[in-house]
Amino acid sequence: MSLASLAPLVDAAAVGDPQEGVPLALYLAVSGGLFLLGLLGVLTRRNPLLLFLAVELLLNSANLALVGFSRYWNVTDGHVFALVVMVVAAAEVVIGLGLVVAVFRQRLALDVDQMSSMKG
Amino acid sequence: MISVLAWLVLGLPLLGCVILSLWPGEPDRRITRVIGVGFPAAAFVLTAIIFVTLLGRDAEDRLEIATLWNWVQSDGLSIDLALQIDPLSVLMMLVVTGVGSLIVLYSTEYMEHDRDYRRFFAEMGFFLFAMLLLVEAANFFFLIVGWGLVGLASYLLIGYYYDRPSAVAAAKKAFVVNVIGDIGMVIAAFILVRELGTLDYGEVFATAPEGLGAETGVATAVALLLFVGAAAKSAQIPLHTWLPDAMEGPTPVSALIHAATMVTAGVYMIVRCNVLYELAPYAGDLVAIVGAATLLMAATIALVQVDIKRVLAWSTVSQIGYMIMGAGLGAYDSSMFHFLTHAFFKALLFLAVGIAIHALAGEQSLDRMGGLRRHLRLTHAAVLVGCLSIAGIPPFSGFFSKDEILATALDAGTLGTVLAIVGLVGAGLTAFYMFRLFFRAFWGPEPEGGYAHAPHNPGMAMSAPVAVLAVLAAVGGLLQIPGVWHPLKDWLEPTLLADPGLEATTGGELIVSIVSVALAIVAIGLAYWIFVADPERRLRLAGAATGTRALLTDQYRFDEVYEEALIQPGRDLGDTLTNGVERYGVQGTMEGVVRGVIDTGRGLRVVQSGLVRGYVFAMVAGVVAVGVIFSLVMR
Repeated sequence: MSLASLAPLVDAAAVGDPQEGVPLALYLAVSGGLFLLGLLGVLTRRNPLLLFLAVELLLNSANLALVGFSRYWNVTDGHVFALVVMVVAAAEVVIGLGLVVAVFRQRLALDVDQMSSMKG
Repeated sequence: MISVLAWLVLGLPLLGCVILSLWPGEPDRRITRVIGVGFPAAAFVLTAIIFVTLLGRDAEDRLEIATLWNWVQSDGLSIDLALQIDPLSVLMMLVVTGVGSLIVLYSTEYMEHDRDYRRFFAEMGFFLFAMLLLVEAANFFFLIVGWGLVGLASYLLIGYYYDRPSAVAAAKKAFVVNVIGDIGMVIAAFILVRELGTLDYGEVFATAPEGLGAETGVATAVALLLFVGAAAKSAQIPLHTWLPDAMEGPTPVSALIHAATMVTAGVYMIVRCNVLYELAPYAGDLVAIVGAATLLMAATIALVQVDIKRVLAWSTVSQIGYMIMGAGLGAYDSSMFHFLTHAFFKALLFLAVGIAIHALAGEQSLDRMGGLRRHLRLTHAAVLVGCLSIAGIPPFSGFFSKDEILATALDAGTLGTVLAIVGLVGAGLTAFYMFRLFFRAFWGPEPEGGYAHAPHNPGMAMSAPVAVLAVLAAVGGLLQIPGVWHPLKDWLEPTLLADPGLEATTGGELIVSIVSVALAIVAIGLAYWIFVADPERRLRLAGAATGTRALLTDQYRFDEVYEEALIQPGRDLGDTLTNGVERYGVQGTMEGVVRGVIDTGRGLRVVQSGLVRGYVFAMVAGVVAVGVIFSLVMR
């Protein structure tokens, strides 16, 4: 397949024709798959670091869905939202890793199930 | 100019009270004296100027309204902060400031040994202010304000010795009984506002004949409700029980508030509202009957009291009974005349007896007195003048004023005749109990075991007021001599808008005078026979009629009946409400709510497990559940 044969596809993407290119369903399928993976991670992992990785998966699956919708409706709102989510995710990781370091300094086990001193 | 003076008269005693109250630290006693006596005396001088100014005017021209500003402005009702200066209020102001100044002067020495010197004079100043507001007010609103404030002053001064439980109880009693009267007056004012739309004296009295109507239920209700206030303030049956207890206050307080001025406020008010009482003749009759009943009851109780101040207190109740009786019958000027002479001789009696009490270091029991005339000669003479005056021996003042009321009553139909006879019997009793007091305290043998304290003669500050009052009590009656002149009646004429035209006939005057003097002389002779001629006779007679004597000593057991019928049920109701409604109803409900909240919280604690994954699972499960529900419903 030559580059030229890809041109209509690229053109279609450039003009933003929602009927051309990767269909929306594929975006959503990948997004949903990532979300399930992340959810499974959050529910099963006890190490906070891995928990954060799983949360990142959740966030990014949402991002993917946002971008997919954005392209489908041919508006840029979804892109903007995706950027905001990335910023939020970065801030969350900063706090989260800070907590992990603090817990580590106390020489406590890195196990979220044991961090329950705030329970009622 | 009169307006300014009227406000100054009202303001000066208050200013003295404020200065004394706010003085930093305990002021020097000389300063307290100057302020405590100076301000009331200045008020008296200004009142005298007002009096002379009014005297120089024509009779129709003697009314002056001094308005400061509008106090209440409401739909259909406007109340000014205003004073009314007319012959009636000037007469009251003269007595209040004049007798008041003499009594505070007397107090400077009487209260010498008291540690709360400043408070006494501050409270006396406050009383004078309140009493002047009462008599100077130009509308019912400020009449009621003054009415309430004198009640407060009375409460403060009866409870002056606040470390004595009996004094505190007496103060509370006086206050509560007076509030009953205040309620009556306030309701009367409400009716006046509803019917006439005004509380201003001038407008009320001008519109009342049409607005209320003669002999209507409304007019009678207003007159009777006002009389509830008068009965409470002037100690008439059935609201008289507080006055004898009020003797717990210092003697000058008893003289000023509970003899000369405040307790006569009811008489003043009835005379002031003479138009309303003429519209309600039945209410007027009831007032007269209550007055007569009170005067007889109080006179009999005074026969057996042993506390010298209680004798005087019951005598005050009795004498106010005369005034109320006269006012109820429409003899307004005679009532005011008796008020005037009573202010002189009763203040005199209280102050002179106060000298004896002071000389014996606070002893008030007649049993511990006797033979005092040898130690306190001038006081003895002063008390004698007071007793002759109250007993109605001519030419002392009580003779003229009391006989005028009785003679007018004799002329006022069947009811009047009956009441006049009651009054004559009361006059005989009065002479007896006053001379019983006189003979037991000043004559007869000295008490066994000697006096509580060696009697000493008073200084000038105490002697001078007594001397002045003795002169006034002796000659004050000459102000109004039947058949010769009646300047007081002429002076009050413009105020008595509804003069019923009662005029004692010369024949009636003569009959009353002869009978009352004869009765008084017989009573005095009897008192002499029992208490002086043979000192043992009193003790022999003490065994007779013990039941009646006990009833009188217990003051007809009004207090006991009130205790049983009103106070104890009130207490029981309070206990029931506390132990039942409050404890189980109010507090129980609150505790139930609190316990419910606590239990709910405890139950929900398990949800807050601290397991993050648990929370996540709950969240996911929730989202799934919502999704399922939505998908089912949306279908």
